[in-house]
Amino acid sequence: MLQLLLNGLAMGAIYALIALGLLQIFNAVRIVNFAQGQLLMLGAFFGLAGVNQLHLPIWAVYLATFAAMALIGLVFMLVAYYPLRGKPFYLVILTTIAVGIVLENLVLIIWGPLPQSLPSPFGSAQWRLGDVVISTHVVFIFFTTAVLLAAQWWFLMCTRFGRMVQATSQDMEMARLVGVRVRHTIAVAFMLGAVLAGAGGLLVAPLFLAEPSMGGALGLKAFVVSVIGGFGNLYGAVIAGLLLGVVETLAAGYISSNFRDAFAFLLMVAFLFVRPQGLFGEKQSERV
Amino acid sequence: MIPFHRVLSVAVALACAGIADTQAQGAASCPSPIPVALTTPLTGAIALLGIQAKLGVEFAIDEINAAGGIGGKQVKLATEDATASATTALNTMNRLLEGKPVVVFSSMISPHVFTQNDAIKKGETLVLAAGTNAQLTKQANPWLVRFHVHDGQLADAVPRYVVESMKKSKPAILAVSDDYGLGASKGLQAAFERLKVKPVAVESYGLADKDMTAQLTKIKSAGADVILLWGRPGDVAIVLKQRRALGIEIPVIGNPSTVAATTVANLTPEEADGAIGIGGMLAQASPDPRAQEFAKKVLDKTKVPVDNFGVAYRDAVYMIKTVIEKVGCDRAKMRDELRAIKDWKGLLISYVADRDGDLAHTMGIYRNKGKTTEFVGTIQEPGF
Repeated sequence: MLQLLLNGLAMGAIYALIALGLLQIFNAVRIVNFAQGQLLMLGAFFGLAGVNQLHLPIWAVYLATFAAMALIGLVFMLVAYYPLRGKPFYLVILTTIAVGIVLENLVLIIWGPLPQSLPSPFGSAQWRLGDVVISTHVVFIFFTTAVLLAAQWWFLMCTRFGRMVQATSQDMEMARLVGVRVRHTIAVAFMLGAVLAGAGGLLVAPLFLAEPSMGGALGLKAFVVSVIGGFGNLYGAVIAGLLLGVVETLAAGYISSNFRDAFAFLLMVAFLFVRPQGLFGEKQSERV
Repeated sequence: MIPFHRVLSVAVALACAGIADTQAQGAASCPSPIPVALTTPLTGAIALLGIQAKLGVEFAIDEINAAGGIGGKQVKLATEDATASATTALNTMNRLLEGKPVVVFSSMISPHVFTQNDAIKKGETLVLAAGTNAQLTKQANPWLVRFHVHDGQLADAVPRYVVESMKKSKPAILAVSDDYGLGASKGLQAAFERLKVKPVAVESYGLADKDMTAQLTKIKSAGADVILLWGRPGDVAIVLKQRRALGIEIPVIGNPSTVAATTVANLTPEEADGAIGIGGMLAQASPDPRAQEFAKKVLDKTKVPVDNFGVAYRDAVYMIKTVIEKVGCDRAKMRDELRAIKDWKGLLISYVADRDGDLAHTMGIYRNKGKTTEFVGTIQEPGF
C-alpha cells in the first residue's frame, strides 16, 4: 500500500508539474494550450540533443533547454495566439492542437520515432526503506515541483510582473489603459509556460523515455488536473495532480489496471458534474 | 588435350549463363522497373515498429538493384505511411493497389492487416504481412501470406519454456492492452492452463501509459516468480526501468521487444540484465557473420538498430526475388509459388509455407547479459 501511494504521488508530481506550465499560459490569456504536452516532448528532445549531439554537461543541457524553450514559447505565441487574438477562443484552442501535431511530426522527422533515454542528473540510485523503494530522480521531481510551485506563487503574487499578468488575465483592455504592456506580458507568460513544459520534459524523460508521441497523453492528464484543481489555480494544480496520480495508481493496483485512464477521466467528469469550478476555482459564468 | 581448368571454367561460365537466362526468363513477364509496394506505420505511436519494415525492405531492394536487379530489371518501391490507424492502413493499401504493384509488403500491426483483408482479396495481388495475431492467416484469403512468427506459436512455446526450462510455477503476465498484447495475454493464459499452472497475476497497461509501477507492485505482492512481458520496445523499456527502480528482482521473459536493440539501448546494464526474449530472429545477436554484417550495414546506413521485423522484411523481399526469378510477375503464379515454398533459406531461418500461408516456424531465444543480447537457441514449431 505504501509503495503504491508513493508511486501515485510520484506520478502526481509529474502531472502537477505539467499543469503548472498549462496554467501559466491560461492565467495570461484564458486559453487552454492543448500543445503543452508536445512542448514538454520538445523539451525532452532538446535535452537529448544537448546530451547526445552537443555532448554538454547536464547542467548546461538544462540551461540550454530552458533558453531554447523560452524562444519556442515566443514563437508559439506569435504563431498560435497573436494572429487570432480577439477572435473566438475556440479558434485559438484549435490552433494550439494543430501546432501540437506539427511539433510532434517535426520531432519525428528530425529525431526519428525511436524512444530515447535521457540520463538523470542523479543516475539510477535509489533509496530503500524496508519494502518501499524510491529512486533519487523521483525525489528530485518532488523537490522541483515544490520549488516551481513556490517560485510561481512568488512570481504571481509578489512581483510587479506577476500582478501585470493577473491584470491582463482579468481584463486585457483595462490593463492596457492603466499602462500594462499587455503584449510583453503575454509574451513572457508564453515563454514561462514553455520553459515549465521544457522542465517537465527534462524531468520525465529519464523515467519514461523521450519519443515523439509522449506529449499527447501527458498533456491530456494536465488538462484533467487543471479541471479538477480549478483552472488557473496554483494550489489546485499541485493538489489535483497528486490526487489524480494517487487515484490512478490505487485504482490500477486494487481494482483493474485495464481501466487506469478511465478512472482519471471519470474523476474529471465527476468534478464537472459536482464541482465544475474545480477544487480551488471560483465560480464563473463561463468555463472552457 | 584441353587442360582441365579450362573445361571447368567453361562449364562454370555456361552454368552461370544458364542461371542468368532462367532469371531473365522469369522476370521477362515483369514490367520494368518492377513495381513493389510497402505500407507500414511511419508516424504516430508505433512508428518505431514500422520503421523496421521500411529499413528491411529498402535495404534488400537497394542490394538487389545494386547487383543488377531481378533478371536485369530494377525494383521500384512505393511506400505509404499507414500511421497507427487501421483506417489509414486500409486507405494506403487501396492507393498502393491502384498503382498495380506485383507485390505489397504490409504492416506488422494485425488490425491494419485485418482491415485490409477485403481490399487484398479484391486486389488479387500477393500481400506479405508480419502482423502477429494468430487469426490473421485464417481468413481464407489466398493472397495474404505471413512471414513472421505469430502469437499462437509464441503462446505455446513461451509458457512451456517458463515451466519446463526455467522451472517457474508462479508466472505473472503483464501486457500492453491492445490487440497485440491482450491477444497474447489470452493465449498465454490458455497455454498455462494446459500446463496446469495458474498465473498469480494478469495485468495490462495502455499503449500510451508511462507509469506501470502499480502493476509491477501488484505482481510483486502476488508472489510471482517470473514476469511474462508483452509489449513494444518503448513501453517494455519503461517496464524494465521501473522494475529496477522498484527493486523487483523477479526475472522477465517476453516477446522480442524485451531484448530488441531499441529497448536495450535505453537501459542501463542493471536494468537490461537477465531479461529473456522469445520470437522473431535478431541479427546482431546471431553468431552468423552474414547476419552480423547485415545488422552493421543497416545501423551504419540508417542509424537505427535492426530488430526482428527488419530481418523478416529483408527476408520477405529476397523471397519474392526468388519467386519472380522462377515464375515471373504473373500474380496467380507468384501466389501459388510462394504458398508452396519449402526450406527457403533466409538470413537466419528457413521458411516453409503451411496450409494457412504462414511461412515462419522458428523462434529465437535471446537473453540480455548486461546490455549485450546473447543468442540462447531456437524453438521449432512442432511439425516443422
